[in-house]
Amino acid sequence: MEEMISKMKKIAYEDLSTKKVDRVIGFGKGDFIYEANPIFISNLEEVDLLVWDLFCVNNLSKYLINELKNYQKIGIFLKGCDSLGFNQLVKDNKVDPDNVIVYGVPCEGMIDPNKLSKKNLLKDLRYLRRVDEKLIIVTKQGEKELIAKDYEYDKCLKCKHPNPVVYSELLESNTLRNSILTDDFEEVDRIEDMNSEERYEYWSEQFSKCIRCYACRNICPVCSCDKCIFDNLDIGVSGKAKVDSEDQFFHIVRAYHVAGRCVDCGECSRVCPESIAIDKLNRKIIKDITEIYGEYDAGLNPSKSSVLVNYKLEDFDPFETSKGGK
Amino acid sequence: MARIGVFVCWCGSNIAATVDVKEVAKEAAKMSGVVLSTDYQYMCSEIGQNLLRNAIKKEKLDRVVVAACSPRMHEVTFRKAAELAGLNPYLVEIANIREHCSWVHKNKDEATEKAIALVRAAVAKVTLNQELIPGEIGIEKRALVIGGGIAGIQTALDIADAGYMVDVIEKTPSIGGKMAQIDKTFPTLDCSACILTPKMVDASMHPNINLHTYSEVEKVSGYVGNFEVTINKKARSVIIEKCSGCGVCIEKCPSRKTKSEFEEGLVNRKAIYTPFPQAVPNVPVIDREACIKFKTGKCGICKKVCTAEAIDFEQEDTKIIQKYGAIVVSTGYDLIDLAKFGEYAYGEDPDVITSLEFERITNAAGPTAGKLLRPSNNEKPEKVVFIQCVGSRDKTCRGKTYCSKICCMYTAKHAMLIKEKYPDIEVHVFYIDVRTPGKNFDEFQRRAVEEYGVNYIKGMVGKVFPDGDKLRVYGVDALSGDTIEIDADLVVLAAATKAKEDAEELGRKLSISTDTNNFFTEAHPKLRPVETHSAGIYLAGACQGPKDIPETVAQASAAASKAIILLSKSKLINNPCVAKVDETICCGCLECTNICPYEAIASTIIEYRDHGKMIKKLVSEVNEALCQGCGGCTVTCRPGAIDLKGFSNKQILAEVDALCF
Repeated sequence: MEEMISKMKKIAYEDLSTKKVDRVIGFGKGDFIYEANPIFISNLEEVDLLVWDLFCVNNLSKYLINELKNYQKIGIFLKGCDSLGFNQLVKDNKVDPDNVIVYGVPCEGMIDPNKLSKKNLLKDLRYLRRVDEKLIIVTKQGEKELIAKDYEYDKCLKCKHPNPVVYSELLESNTLRNSILTDDFEEVDRIEDMNSEERYEYWSEQFSKCIRCYACRNICPVCSCDKCIFDNLDIGVSGKAKVDSEDQFFHIVRAYHVAGRCVDCGECSRVCPESIAIDKLNRKIIKDITEIYGEYDAGLNPSKSSVLVNYKLEDFDPFETSKGGK
Repeated sequence: MARIGVFVCWCGSNIAATVDVKEVAKEAAKMSGVVLSTDYQYMCSEIGQNLLRNAIKKEKLDRVVVAACSPRMHEVTFRKAAELAGLNPYLVEIANIREHCSWVHKNKDEATEKAIALVRAAVAKVTLNQELIPGEIGIEKRALVIGGGIAGIQTALDIADAGYMVDVIEKTPSIGGKMAQIDKTFPTLDCSACILTPKMVDASMHPNINLHTYSEVEKVSGYVGNFEVTINKKARSVIIEKCSGCGVCIEKCPSRKTKSEFEEGLVNRKAIYTPFPQAVPNVPVIDREACIKFKTGKCGICKKVCTAEAIDFEQEDTKIIQKYGAIVVSTGYDLIDLAKFGEYAYGEDPDVITSLEFERITNAAGPTAGKLLRPSNNEKPEKVVFIQCVGSRDKTCRGKTYCSKICCMYTAKHAMLIKEKYPDIEVHVFYIDVRTPGKNFDEFQRRAVEEYGVNYIKGMVGKVFPDGDKLRVYGVDALSGDTIEIDADLVVLAAATKAKEDAEELGRKLSISTDTNNFFTEAHPKLRPVETHSAGIYLAGACQGPKDIPETVAQASAAASKAIILLSKSKLINNPCVAKVDETICCGCLECTNICPYEAIASTIIEYRDHGKMIKKLVSEVNEALCQGCGGCTVTCRPGAIDLKGFSNKQILAEVDALCF
């Protein structure tokens, strides 16, 4: 980890001093040890603030949209899941990849402070590092060895792309983690198995928790509209009232707006303060697209048009009827 | 506050019998913004239209709702009426209480309730309507005819005679189509070639007509008045300008294994060939798949013998890009494949033939020089059996549900032609029904029975069984219930007609629709029979549905006149109900450009000032001339930046809200 930090600092320092970039977006330490925050660096003396640890879960790519309005060329540290979001931003014409240098950072999985907290490990946490499948944590009480998987974010447990799928420079060529290639959609199956009343109840209960903070939208790398339809009262699709129907409407529309484009990074669910199973809606759509149109590849290839806005003759057509005699 | 007038039409009893129109008018009067609500027997009549116009003036109406039939029917009528009274025509809305209500419901109370709801939705929408001003576009004064059969030839001649340039694209090496293969035509029995070939020559000689034979449509873009078509002229391997049509190349060609398409496979043709002697242009083409030179590199005899030096083995496909104001589709039909009809032994026994093969056999220019001979042994048959409705009116998946329309008449014609030449041959016709509506048609068929003694048997054939030299035909006489067995020498199958295999593909290129049977769909079966839903594209002949020659020619002239009407205008009025982008909201994802079926949306970079800084932004841009107002983009747009004028999201939502009242 220390090795990675020094690599990060070195490349940021080099590229800033040679004017290869005029801004670097990376991670800095937050107020607590289990916090890593985005930092934006233009001055060489700030390069030392860069960190890399097991809490650098944020996807930084979305900050490019605004930063590129003020800076010509930006260097950014991206993990595997972040890189998918980056590609989608490129595809949505929100980011010009020519103005970005992606420093690819292979990821070994991020640790969920909530999971540590549940085991009362967050208090007095001083240091934590990962050795393969083990998690070494140091608290006031001393050193402890844990199984890393038990404390990883749910989304990391299903990680398909621990290494960036796109980068200008890769900071570490080794893969630090095996990717989970087969997706079983187990949690989607469980909801599909419910009858319609159960399902309605399940989702009603989930969405009734929503406080409409829009954190899920704000974090999402594919929710990149200049003006979100839910912020545009003039357009008349959404009201401000905190009622179940509006909340349900918001969540369904949000899911449809990312349909076919969602890179399945799981950030929406991670940031939800009410722990709504937002990503399950996304994953249901991903499952359907996989079944109907073949492999789901949002975020893998920015030059390919999204599956739901293109039409191929060989596409599955459930409405196709026999054409008499053929 | 809007001043809305609501006019409820009875449509005679069409609406009034099922919907309490007085009640609808009474309820409408209570709706927000409605200042006048009335009903009348026929709103579309002159009196009805005057009622509307006078009310607009007298009551100072600024919005109008007409509760009547489908907007497809009379929206234009009422818009024009409103315009005459000084109202912008796009401030008129139609509540469809006929097709959507009275025609589909029986219970008067429920239908009335629904009619009120539909009026409420229309009132809610019209409140949000805005004045729309259509733009104008120019017109390319040139027409394209796709398909060079009798339909295409007639269309081209008519348009050309009106003084406009016409290009005809024909897929095969010669124009003429199916009619060129036919021997005699019903109901007059005049020789098909004698009436067709002069028209073919007229087409080729006409100063306003360009023939592109052996060519296909590759791509169509653009819009009414301004289509841009890419034509692929396939390599003929013979230079048309040099060829004198002497035919020596054909005579000397050693490749003789390919079945002649024109002769329906009854005889072979050479690798270099003209489909038939009267072909236009009378220039051969090399079938590269059959040609020994192309297959092995050796041969080239045709080139050696051609004194005009017209043979060019290196010729390549050429692309022509041309602009057109109007397009007429006249691609014709085919006969169905009979492989699924094993019981008739077609393909198994050479003496079981299709009616089109029969046309060639009985044709004086055909392979038997018009002598009726059995293909198996070249002997005159003694008994001929015709089987009608082979695949027509067939509800199973192997046939077609529709009536092919021409078979009853041509079968009577075939029977008569046999009897005329060989009164001693026995002719039997199996039929389900004899359908002969048309001028002098029934008289024609009766003549076959009464004068020529053709034996018509109502019933179907169960099996044709090749038995030695004979074909044993097992059938049932449906009138007597008796089983019938005939030892035939020749069996002729009236195979169903079908749309061209590539009709759907061509339809896709042209953005015109096909029906469940792949025939092109007309804009309205009664009132717009030769137009398609795509403005500026018209239909002629059997590509739209089974048709005989008189009907085809009539439709061809109709399509031509539609094209001429279009080409004769100096400017076209655009539909103002097109998509519009709000650049401040557009996020530049350009998904709308992908989904647009008319390629009407492109992108552009705009600059705007944000906190004193100039910022460049990518946004979508709609070409109003190309946009057909389908609204596909509006539902693709996540931030709701793209909206359809006349059908804005707000208007639609207002309608939905009103319906859920």
